Amino acid sequence: MLLNLPATPIVFFGGKGGVGKTTLAAAFALHSAEQGARTLLVSTDPAHSAGDMLEVPLGDETSEVLPGLHAVEIDPEAEAERYIADVKERVRQVASPRILDEVEREIDLARSSPGAEEAALLDRFAELMRTAGGTYDRVVFDTAPTGHTVRLLSLPELMGRWIDGLVSRRRKVRSLGRMWRNVAGAAAGTAGREEDPVLDALEERQARFRAAREIVTDPKRTAFTFVLTPERLPILETRKAAAALERSRIPVAAVIVNRVLPPDARGAFLTRRREREARYLDDIDRELAAYPRVLVPLFDSDVQGVEGLRRVIAALEDGA
Amino acid sequence: MWGRIRRALRAFRDIYEAVYFAPYRSQIHREYAHQHDLFLLLTTSDLLGVPNPVEFYTLELLPEAMEQFHKWHLRMGLESAPEGGFRCC
Repeated sequence: MLLNLPATPIVFFGGKGGVGKTTLAAAFALHSAEQGARTLLVSTDPAHSAGDMLEVPLGDETSEVLPGLHAVEIDPEAEAERYIADVKERVRQVASPRILDEVEREIDLARSSPGAEEAALLDRFAELMRTAGGTYDRVVFDTAPTGHTVRLLSLPELMGRWIDGLVSRRRKVRSLGRMWRNVAGAAAGTAGREEDPVLDALEERQARFRAAREIVTDPKRTAFTFVLTPERLPILETRKAAAALERSRIPVAAVIVNRVLPPDARGAFLTRRREREARYLDDIDRELAAYPRVLVPLFDSDVQGVEGLRRVIAALEDGA
Repeated sequence: MWGRIRRALRAFRDIYEAVYFAPYRSQIHREYAHQHDLFLLLTTSDLLGVPNPVEFYTLELLPEAMEQFHKWHLRMGLESAPEGGFRCC
């Protein structure tokens, strides 16, 4: 794999909006595919520029864009619809007809709040992460701007804890129900029965969160790569996001500094910019010292299509 | 004769047991009902305006929660579902 860049089955590219995440994720995925690894590029950025970058229309279904390189664009709204439809289907099997309409109304209400898309995205993420090492050798995520992604990746931990609490409460209800059943006999009704669909549903959730958490915190399987430009705000944001990921024990593997002025760029204006830039590069060295760093120069034209991505790959190869 | 005595003794033992267990029974039932309602509250807290962070991950629990909610408002002496809750009846 590329020097200083992760070779794990799951690689996330994240960073502030507009720093070139999509370009680098696409270049990385292309390189990975050209090295012979079956690679899936997942775009989760609502702007969805991965398709524009590769000059092929991408959709909700995975499609092969180049030999060995597959790509998919996730649409949070469509994901939420699918998630809700799936929940309704499962509910239909257990709910009594008397309350079914009302249950469906409640589920539709839940659909309209923002948390639904987040939950649906997390589910799809988890599903795609499971394909790494199976259907694909590598899954590359081009993520939405920083804050959103960091939250999404820490969700399994946050939500998992809450679900853990619910599971232990429910177990307590069941064991008290069992005691009640022992002293009350038939009068206990359904209390303390062995089968408990609520506990089953919760434990399934718990298992899913645990699995997702195991994947994202395993440095052998997952690596997060930050993209930033040598400017003040991206540096600050990256530092904060890296700290947040460390707190959630999600491994950060590398930092890619994009659009560094090339040495042959001359003129009074560019010289002044380069002086400023040198200070920011020092800041990056100091404040993000814990992570390997890769420099990618600013090109004389914007990166477009497979040829453009090859230029980026070449720069990544000697940018360490 | 002996049969009647045995029956009387058995009746006496049943009464004794019932009296002996009564406080425990009601205690266990109270604790069970309490924990049960607490669980219901935790999974449907958004009905009371308390945000439930895992609402979207526990949508599958709605049928059960709604059945329990229905039993609860009957137990509270409310013929129809109170305003703001599930519209179960």
